[in-house]
Amino acid sequence: MSEQNQLSVATESHDKAMILRPEGRIDGSNASTLDSAIQEQFEGGNAVLVFDFSNLNYISSAGLRILLVAARDAQSKGGKSVFCGLSTQIAEIFSVSGFDKILTIHPGLPEALDAV
Amino acid sequence: MEQETTQVKEISQEIEKRRPRILMVDDESDLELLVRQRLRRRIRSGDYEFLFASNGQEALEVLKENPDIRLVLSDINMPVMDGLTLLSQLESADPDICAVIISAYGDMGNIRTAMNRGAFDFVTKPIDFNDLQITIDKTLRHIDMIQQALSSRDRLVSLKQELSVAKNVQMSVLPPVPSPNPYYDLHAQMTPAREIGGDFFDYFEVDEFHLGLVIADVSGKGVPAALFTLVSRALLKSAACNHDSPSRCLSDVNELLSQQNDSLMFVTLFYGVLDLRNGNLLYCNGGHNPPMVVRTADNTTSALPTTENMALGIVADHKFNEKLLVLEPGDSLFFFTDGITESSDNTDEEFGESRLEKVLTNQPHENMASMVDSVLKALSNFTVGMEPFDDVTCLALRWNQAKPEK
Repeated sequence: MSEQNQLSVATESHDKAMILRPEGRIDGSNASTLDSAIQEQFEGGNAVLVFDFSNLNYISSAGLRILLVAARDAQSKGGKSVFCGLSTQIAEIFSVSGFDKILTIHPGLPEALDAV
Repeated sequence: MEQETTQVKEISQEIEKRRPRILMVDDESDLELLVRQRLRRRIRSGDYEFLFASNGQEALEVLKENPDIRLVLSDINMPVMDGLTLLSQLESADPDICAVIISAYGDMGNIRTAMNRGAFDFVTKPIDFNDLQITIDKTLRHIDMIQQALSSRDRLVSLKQELSVAKNVQMSVLPPVPSPNPYYDLHAQMTPAREIGGDFFDYFEVDEFHLGLVIADVSGKGVPAALFTLVSRALLKSAACNHDSPSRCLSDVNELLSQQNDSLMFVTLFYGVLDLRNGNLLYCNGGHNPPMVVRTADNTTSALPTTENMALGIVADHKFNEKLLVLEPGDSLFFFTDGITESSDNTDEEFGESRLEKVLTNQPHENMASMVDSVLKALSNFTVGMEPFDDVTCLALRWNQAKPEK
């Protein structure tokens, strides 16, 4: 139970963007952890965000909502947000909900960094 | 949880901010002067404030006018009303008040009586002001702790009530069991997770020959999700009364939900309208897990083709499409939320669509209640011992035969 709820968000600074790497599961119980990690970047003046989901196992609707808000807020700050490294399962969650239509998704980190 | 902590913090800050007021009850008139002089530093720095009364009767009047007083220091032997009588009156006037008795050391009998009547502590006369100060500080700390515990408890009780109200609302808006009829069989079940979520299902007769079928999942959990659920359900039902086309209905609901939706809450929602005369299901899927169709002729199960639409509440002008699926008599539909397919076992593996398909196909289901049962049983066998993260919601429908037009 507790193991499944674990989520950590590593960040890495890149010359064009800030890379965020959530690791574990994002669900209703820990979506605020992701939210704080994003807000921290905004507060630090970083509005160009690359989300690398290579180490993410699962994301619930509560997590998706945080990503939508992040994408909107990044744009309103003159930045942008892109997503990469989606596993088959997570890619399916994005496509079923239709969010792949409004969020920018790239296969891997190099492509994502090229795009920002 | 975070919100709760801030609220508790705010409450305790408010308590800290409030300067404690202390009522001193003694018939020796020079005591007031002495206290003001000996404790002047603490009074001046705003640590506390003193009020004075010369007997028990006066004390009760002062307390009546100043209900914020929590600490009373009282002598025992006084005219009009003595300290012991005051103590017993205090208990009924305000049980939250702490009393400290001031009496001569030789008066131990009365001091013991006072302690037995609920006094918190005592100091002896002649007053050692250093000891008095320590006793006051200790008592105020005690009062503070009690107040904080009480306000946290009250917050907790009201939060719990709020949650149970929301949970009751979520369950109570579910439609009643449909009356048995020869044309279709329907069974639905929702098991909410420990924390209230945002799943819902619905079915209603749009008219004599059309049955509306809904399954949906609102983002997030808790009271906000429950409220969004209620709104989405009501909006869809009202749209369904106005338009036959499911895509038109979703389009209307989406537009209304997207207005001023700053928090970007959203709902994935599937809406289909089954024509009971011919088995035609016209549907539109707003970002929800595609329902399964179980074909009776060849005993196969497959997901309904997508209408390429996204969840409702995000993009106001999103264009919704609809598709047609034709059922043959005896075919079933199985609607579900991700609480079923995304439930995982102790190795983090998800139940998934393929296991669901297998359960739906493998055994013949006498009725829809038994279909729902076998899915839920398979799910609980799979997730043994894991606490469900999400609401588990499903709806099964079988079209038995055409409803004749008289």
